[in-house]
Amino acid sequence: MSPAERNDGPWRRSWRRLYARRGARWALALLGLIMALALLVPALSPYDYAAPSWTHIFLRPSLRGGEWFGTDGLGRDLLVRVMWGCRISLLIGIAASLVSVLIGVAWGTAAGYIGGRTDGLLMRTVDVLYSVPFIPLVIVLEVLFGRNFLLVFIAIGAVSWLDIARIVRGQTLAIRSQNYIEAALALGVRTPAVIWRHVVPNLLGLVIVYATLTIPSVILFEALLSFLGLGVQAPLASLGSLVADGANEMQANPYLLLIPAAFLAAIILCLNYLGDALRDALDPRHD
Amino acid sequence: MLRFLLRRALSAVPTLLVIATLAFVLLHLTPGGPFDSERVLVPQIQHSIEARFHLDEPLWRQYLRYLGDLAHGDLGPSFQYRNTSVNELIAQGLPVDVAIGGTAMLIALLLGGSIGLLAATRVGGWRDRLPMGLAMLGISVPLFVTAPLLILVFAIRLQWLPAGDWVSGSWRHLLLPSVALALPYTAYIARIVRSAAIEALASPFIRAARAKGLPSLTIVLRHALRPTLMPLVSFLGPALAGVLTGSIVIEQVFGLPGIGRFFVTGALNRDYTLVTGITVLYGALIIAMNVLVDLCYGWLDPRVRARQ
Amino acid sequence: MKPAPRCPSAVPVRRTLLARPWLLALCACSPAGTGTGAAANTIIVGTGLAAVQALTRAVDAGGVRSLDPSLSTDVPGERVLDDLFEGLTRLDERGEPAPGVAERWEHSADGRVWTFHLRAARWSNGVPIRAADFVFAWRRTVDPRTASDYAQALAPVVNAIAISEGRMSPATLGIEAPDDRTVRVRLNAPTPYLLSLLTKSYAVPQYEPAIRAHGESWVRPEFLVNNGAFLLREHVIGGRITLVRNPTYWGAQQVRLAQVTYLPLDRSAQTDRYFAGDLAFTDSFSAEQTAWLRQQLGTQVVSGPYLGNFVLGMNMVRPPFAGNRSLRMALTLAVDREPLVRYVRQGLYLAAYTPTPPLAGYPAPVPDWAALPDAQRHALAQRYYAAAGYSARHRLHVELHYPTDTDNRRTYEAVAAMWRTNLGADVSTYNEEFRVELNERHLHKLDLFHYAWIGDYPDPYTFLQLFQTGFGYNDGGYSNPRYDALLNAAGEEADAAQRFGELAQAEALLNADVACIPLYYYATRHLIKPYVRGWTSNIQDRNLSQYMYLLEHRGQ
Repeated sequence: MSPAERNDGPWRRSWRRLYARRGARWALALLGLIMALALLVPALSPYDYAAPSWTHIFLRPSLRGGEWFGTDGLGRDLLVRVMWGCRISLLIGIAASLVSVLIGVAWGTAAGYIGGRTDGLLMRTVDVLYSVPFIPLVIVLEVLFGRNFLLVFIAIGAVSWLDIARIVRGQTLAIRSQNYIEAALALGVRTPAVIWRHVVPNLLGLVIVYATLTIPSVILFEALLSFLGLGVQAPLASLGSLVADGANEMQANPYLLLIPAAFLAAIILCLNYLGDALRDALDPRHD
Repeated sequence: MLRFLLRRALSAVPTLLVIATLAFVLLHLTPGGPFDSERVLVPQIQHSIEARFHLDEPLWRQYLRYLGDLAHGDLGPSFQYRNTSVNELIAQGLPVDVAIGGTAMLIALLLGGSIGLLAATRVGGWRDRLPMGLAMLGISVPLFVTAPLLILVFAIRLQWLPAGDWVSGSWRHLLLPSVALALPYTAYIARIVRSAAIEALASPFIRAARAKGLPSLTIVLRHALRPTLMPLVSFLGPALAGVLTGSIVIEQVFGLPGIGRFFVTGALNRDYTLVTGITVLYGALIIAMNVLVDLCYGWLDPRVRARQ
Repeated sequence: MKPAPRCPSAVPVRRTLLARPWLLALCACSPAGTGTGAAANTIIVGTGLAAVQALTRAVDAGGVRSLDPSLSTDVPGERVLDDLFEGLTRLDERGEPAPGVAERWEHSADGRVWTFHLRAARWSNGVPIRAADFVFAWRRTVDPRTASDYAQALAPVVNAIAISEGRMSPATLGIEAPDDRTVRVRLNAPTPYLLSLLTKSYAVPQYEPAIRAHGESWVRPEFLVNNGAFLLREHVIGGRITLVRNPTYWGAQQVRLAQVTYLPLDRSAQTDRYFAGDLAFTDSFSAEQTAWLRQQLGTQVVSGPYLGNFVLGMNMVRPPFAGNRSLRMALTLAVDREPLVRYVRQGLYLAAYTPTPPLAGYPAPVPDWAALPDAQRHALAQRYYAAAGYSARHRLHVELHYPTDTDNRRTYEAVAAMWRTNLGADVSTYNEEFRVELNERHLHKLDLFHYAWIGDYPDPYTFLQLFQTGFGYNDGGYSNPRYDALLNAAGEEADAAQRFGELAQAEALLNADVACIPLYYYATRHLIKPYVRGWTSNIQDRNLSQYMYLLEHRGQ
């Protein structure tokens, strides 16, 4: 380790380690590119994601025609629709991950910090919930209560917080037993302040890693729901619903399946890779 | 050992109760009844249908009745498949899922395990990077993309294998769905095995074994395998839940008569008993799998065994 | 099928076939361009019967929920029951009612009493079929204890409704057996579509001892006693159903298929499996793929008119549609049906301007505006839209609800876009799971909704009934005493032409009131291998396996 690095804070060091990985740089760049395209293309393109165009049905992808990704069964530009799909999928992924991180962190810190009977109760609940077949249950919920955006967030978020809660609890337990916490408490610092000032910052790295890894699994889950016909409302599309539509057309018009599937896979791949790299980068054993 | 199993079985009861209650309440809260149809029902017939399935009783009576039947292992009659009980449907559908899920897990373990071990012995080389890159891709491409593509290539274009359907005992019908289901798990397992094996290979006792001059393969198989299995075993518990939901997709794509399909059509048709029954079954399977994982832990690690 | 040998890959195979001089080789080939797929699609068909007479056909992915003739309500069940059971009448090759278990029949002058004379037919266990088997079955269907969704289907029979409502005993049903070979049916009113009704599963005979002995399980392969052209060999619930020829069937001599397998598959899977060679006859295919399929498969793609309409319902009991005929008029005028049919359905369906699909002899009233050129029709629509009190600043905001299905979705996305362009109305589409949509529209909670209907029998009444006051499925809540009076009068009318006239009058009233927005009429659509014969398109899309057979062929 160079002397210069030693002077940096732990965050900068982690960032440097992350940036030192070529794969991580690529993943970041690709993800940034997709996000930028998802933001810009629908705004700049002359085509609408919803309005049918009868003269442009099932056009194959071509650079000359202006429809780079081709068009679908209603003559709508696939490029614009895929970019909208990226927007929706990323939005759902990030929002639902936030929900799950919030629940998981609250639950885990409460269990780990308070300890005793509360800990037992909270973690026993997590154990029970681990045995609940959640994904099927969410499918049922979706079917039953109709599709709405909010419900998708909540349902997915509520399903995926269990892991985070467990890990956060473990970490909190470890931090709780540190001397400086004992000292702070002895000095009369109030519990919420202790949690906010000492426990939460120490959890941050862990939480970032898990949030990064939760986003792709949420996106995949939303895609699964869409595939089963339970996703976002048409004419809006997520990557999952585009893939599902494309799968029906895969013989006649394979590009309708392959293009959205490629974007879906690219997003998941980048996020998974980043999550892995972050985990390594934030691992204190590297210090 | 027996006491451990007994204790786990007892603690499973409240969990199953929670699951059954959750499913029951959710289903009965929802709009749309099981016997709404395109046809107009004469109120009397509607009533007599509802009376037949006890839907006319207050909800708490229905709930108690359901729990009572459940205690006897009776999941009740299916609403949508008239003339058929949920037990019969599960008896018919579960073997399909067990065959496909089991074959898929076997493929994933053998293939993923050997890829992971191979990669771990060649860290940094192309024999590590290439399979691991593919594994990352395997995790990132969802099942419902790979399964239709497999059908397109192997069933429609090449016509080597059937595009779906289920004929019990026919490996040709088993192969494509199992391989499709196995792909993401192969990828996961390869990654887990690789990192665990790297750690194990770096540990002092392996270095000691190397120092003794034992051949590399012997070292890997005899010494590195066991510690490598630990994280793998803990992955397999949750993986079962994944196989269950994965098989919903696989059944849909390949048109197989497994319980996942019953589950989805059951939900669509408000088949309360069928959906609750399958949910409870899924829960029981997950619990059983977790117990199995803990037992394996005990077998792999003497320290855990002592605590059990 | 074209005899022109356009596929080069067919040549060597053909040579070997010609070694047998009786075999006239025909080539049903697809134009090249599908890569490896093209060779697989090459089929050479001979003129002789195939040695193996086994047909695999598809049914809708929902699958068969029950094979009990009194309980079955789904289309897949109807397909299989058509092969397993036979009523007093059966459908012939062209889909017209023909003598079934009843050899001949006559009816009273007022058309209210029908007498059927049974032929010497047998159950699959060899026992002769008696008139009492019909009496038993019909009573069982309407008995509230059976809890059949379909009990009201026998409504034309005297007392059927009262019995199903529990007000009378099943024994009072208007069917009796004066002797073992005679069935007498008494009807509430002359029912011109009776013979068609009698082909349905709820009117077939049932074997009482089997039901007594096995209860609900009597429809399992090991217990079932039936009287149709095929026997039930295997029934995987939610999966395949295998039938084999029934040697005790009275017409067994004419049945050529030895085995029929039904597979429940969704539309795209059916197409995939057809290409993979696992299926010889699909139940449907995706309308969007029509052009591509025609290009790939040529004449293997078949379609014909189907007894169903694709209609949008409007809520007549609350704003914005209640009491606002101008608005309803504006919406129906602003839909361009021709592009819908041409592009969304790729020419498969027929544009609709009135609810009842074309039926032989029925003068369906088409509104005058149907003939207007687009520009004039749009201008008219805009005038009505303005008259209804809407403008660019005060737009109509309404949700269009429809059950989840890719085929529907495309249509409704297109229709909403037309309203946006032609009127400036803001219509958002909202797809819901089938049961939810159904429930909400029953409760009049939806303003604009999918209201498609498949007729039970080829008669306008099955479609017009939907708009009758108090009819349980009148989800729009349309109510017009004059309309109801016209329908009732038609119900009492014995003369067929007179009756059709009255029904057409009622339908014209419906159109004047704009009680719904017709979009198009359904079409039957199948992929069928060129060696599958004995099949004709019919308006009910019921294709009995007993008429089908396979010709000798090479390739699949």
